[in-house]
Amino acid sequence: MTKVALIDKSSNLISTVKGPTGPEHRQLANEVMRQALEKVSLQIDDISCIVATGYGRVNVPFADRQITELSCHARGVSSIFPNVRTAIDIGGQDAKCMKIDNGRLISFVMNDKCAAGTGRFLEVTAATLGVKLEDMGDISLKATKRIQISNLCTIFAQQEVVALLSRGERLEDIVAGLHNALASRIAALAQRLGIEPDLVLTGGGAKNTGMVRAVKESLGRELLVPEEPLLTGALGAAILAGETYMKAVAASGAFSAKPRRLEKATFFGREHR
Amino acid sequence: MSDKKRGLSKAREIYLNRSQRARELKAAGKRIMGYPCAYVPLEMITALDLVPYRTCGDMKEPVTEADRALPSSFCPIMRTCLDCALKGKNDFLDGMVTIHSCDPQEKTARVWESYTDYPYFHFIDMPVTVRPEALEYFEGQLNDFKKTLEAFSGKKLSTGTLEAAIESHNRQRTLVRELYELTKPSPPLVSGTEIVQVVKALMSLPVAEGNELLADIMSEVQSRTDGPERKAARLLTWGSTLDNTDIMQVFEAKANVVMDESCGGIRAYRAEVRRSPDPIEGLADYYLNEITCARSFRQAILGETRKRYARDLQSRFGYLKGIIKEWNINGAIMLLVRYCDPFAFEMPSLKDYFDGLGIPNTYIEYDYTAGALAPLRTRVEAFLETIS
Repeated sequence: MTKVALIDKSSNLISTVKGPTGPEHRQLANEVMRQALEKVSLQIDDISCIVATGYGRVNVPFADRQITELSCHARGVSSIFPNVRTAIDIGGQDAKCMKIDNGRLISFVMNDKCAAGTGRFLEVTAATLGVKLEDMGDISLKATKRIQISNLCTIFAQQEVVALLSRGERLEDIVAGLHNALASRIAALAQRLGIEPDLVLTGGGAKNTGMVRAVKESLGRELLVPEEPLLTGALGAAILAGETYMKAVAASGAFSAKPRRLEKATFFGREHR
Repeated sequence: MSDKKRGLSKAREIYLNRSQRARELKAAGKRIMGYPCAYVPLEMITALDLVPYRTCGDMKEPVTEADRALPSSFCPIMRTCLDCALKGKNDFLDGMVTIHSCDPQEKTARVWESYTDYPYFHFIDMPVTVRPEALEYFEGQLNDFKKTLEAFSGKKLSTGTLEAAIESHNRQRTLVRELYELTKPSPPLVSGTEIVQVVKALMSLPVAEGNELLADIMSEVQSRTDGPERKAARLLTWGSTLDNTDIMQVFEAKANVVMDESCGGIRAYRAEVRRSPDPIEGLADYYLNEITCARSFRQAILGETRKRYARDLQSRFGYLKGIIKEWNINGAIMLLVRYCDPFAFEMPSLKDYFDGLGIPNTYIEYDYTAGALAPLRTRVEAFLETIS
């Protein structure tokens, strides 16, 4: 997923965009930027500084800086919860744990190799169950029986889910079991880093009330969840952009931004098809 | 091989086409001896006028053939090495010398033998501890190796030729250490990427030619004006094997790698074979004691039965303290190849040692495939962001 966050001088969010990424990153970067600007009737030249983050950060030609999503989430989460020391981001295709001090990233662990510890695990198993991903959380909260999903691998977990259904287990109990399985992977990752309060859960996984419950139970700790968990990375990037700008102005009176052009990247453009 | 290329550009050329010189020598009647690990005593091979050639894998080559011979959850380095061999990339070899440095090396030894047709195979056993009895046993193993190698080469391994070979290989070690002296300045005069190419080239040439190449490189680097850019971070990389420039480039996009403690870096060159009335004894001592690979079980005090963690850390990793100071290192990356048990088990202790020294450090695991580079980049960049 691709997200854009525009903030004002006081770090308030004034415009946001969220949407599926797809294959053509450079074209998409232009497109989502255009949408974000349109919402607040701004031109791209009105933006003081732009920071790109995430896997596609190298594909944002008009970005002034590229910063890893780890540092950006650390910043974004700290702006919402100033006392955060540990943050867990459960994304669609990866999961990260970050140790934070005063808004700065101190250390981190990531899982971006195995689907079993990411949102993908629930996407895949939801599809197997014929359930919409956005309903999985609520369904899990209705469980009355504890079911252990024994398989570590997403693919094998799918098979196990079918076997459980055919055994007559309730959908709600199975879905809760899946959430617990995902939460235990996340907990294992987080415990490698050591958890200090305040603990924040963010990312798409944090929008899932079932996941919030499961992670809370797995870690045995209180969790803070931002109102817009999908945006903490982009928010952090925007705040770091603001800091970059202010630092440059303080040091030399001005910040020289990259050329601000939102033309279609013609390499992928329709004209060439 | 182009006559025009010298020094660093020659090293780069060899890096891109490693086997060319070995094939030329083979065509001219020399015999080439493959070895998969830095623990094989190359001096004995050189002394019998055979050409040692390190068998390497290729990170960019998808592993397709090795699956019929090796399990998939297995050292990716050995898998790709064997894969390349099965694809005929080492067809010019006249033999393989394998050694019990670690389990994958030991287990793959027999697989090499079954799946290839070289006229000569020898497996050297090596103890995991570093103590007098182990040393004595290892000497015995090297004497066994001497016998089979003499039989294969049709020559006797005299003390004189062995001493000359030791001198030549020691000279190479000295030259590599001198090259690393040139990474001490800020910015370093030579990059980690260039050193990967140089070391790979050294593993592809007879020792005398490697020494000539190094001499050229030294004078080139000392007087160059086109060295690496200064970066704020001066890194130590620590791991098993780092023999691919793509990996180095991930680190050096935003940092200077001034010391690489791996088989693609300084590990095989940091110490010297000392002179000894029996050269085999000197070789055994060097290879067993001086190579700081995680495969060895080292104790501060032999037969230690009480837990003394700090002293244990010092005895295992103390050599890094001086390096960190002298090279002004401000960050350490512990790089693990997936499934590598010896190095994996060292990581937590090494982390404690680095934390004790106050050196920011991070642990990164990757699987030695082209797909590993993007996640590696994210982690390296995030680590550099924490120390900037």
